[in-house]
Amino acid sequence: MVGNDIVDLEEANRMSNWERPRYLEKLFTSKELQFIRDCENPFLTVWRLWSMKEAAYKLYTQQNPSRFYNPKGFECDISDLNGIVKFKDFECNVKTQIASKYILSEARFIDSEMTSKIIELKGKLRKSHSDILKEALLIQLSKLHQLSKENFKFQKSEFGIPTVLCNSVKIQVSISHHGCFGTYAI
Amino acid sequence: MTNDELITKLKAIIAPYVQDEKAFENLTEDTDFINDLKVNSANLVDIILDIEDEFNIRLENEDMEKMLDVKAAMLIINTKLEA
Repeated sequence: MVGNDIVDLEEANRMSNWERPRYLEKLFTSKELQFIRDCENPFLTVWRLWSMKEAAYKLYTQQNPSRFYNPKGFECDISDLNGIVKFKDFECNVKTQIASKYILSEARFIDSEMTSKIIELKGKLRKSHSDILKEALLIQLSKLHQLSKENFKFQKSEFGIPTVLCNSVKIQVSISHHGCFGTYAI
Repeated sequence: MTNDELITKLKAIIAPYVQDEKAFENLTEDTDFINDLKVNSANLVDIILDIEDEFNIRLENEDMEKMLDVKAAMLIINTKLEA
């Protein structure tokens, strides 16, 4: 099981003002706020923590099918680029990659290497971003299982949780897109 | 405030964050911020802050948790205004 999330830093900078009054207090716990205050680059730290929370939320909802908006409930504990995110009695490992143009987080129950594949969506019509991503995911799965692509069907549950159906077997996946970047993990 | 007045105010708040204009034109109480309007989840907090400012109310974490569609937003605003 996996949950992942990508933040396009240019898009985040354009679309969100994290310095807006009460913004950070709505999303982060007091411990996280302290961490943001003490760090060298608050912009990167805010989006890093955000992507960790989103990735953990996606993993949580794979395990507990539901839908809600509670970023503050998912608390991040960080050491280097590995972190732990906790929500109630749920706990997972979240690895993060910080590149010049994006931040990528991947949440799993076990401590393993990141496997998320990144796709640049620059120049593509925004409307087709999720289709491009799904197509790439299905191609990857068809290679992995050595079955033709027609055997795989992407679907979302009533809670918006993605899975791929292959001959009545459900494969858990995670996808995310933001601005010019998309990512998927199996 | 009537429901129509409330929806009009909400539409003005949501407009800057909408990424699917067609769904926005056809907005109803059942419209979902993320699934229908394609609002980015990081901008949902902006909508929440704008609602707080517009109606002079404060939303707690429990209120935010349900803020996924127009209907839920209307219910939360009405409940806070009556309190």
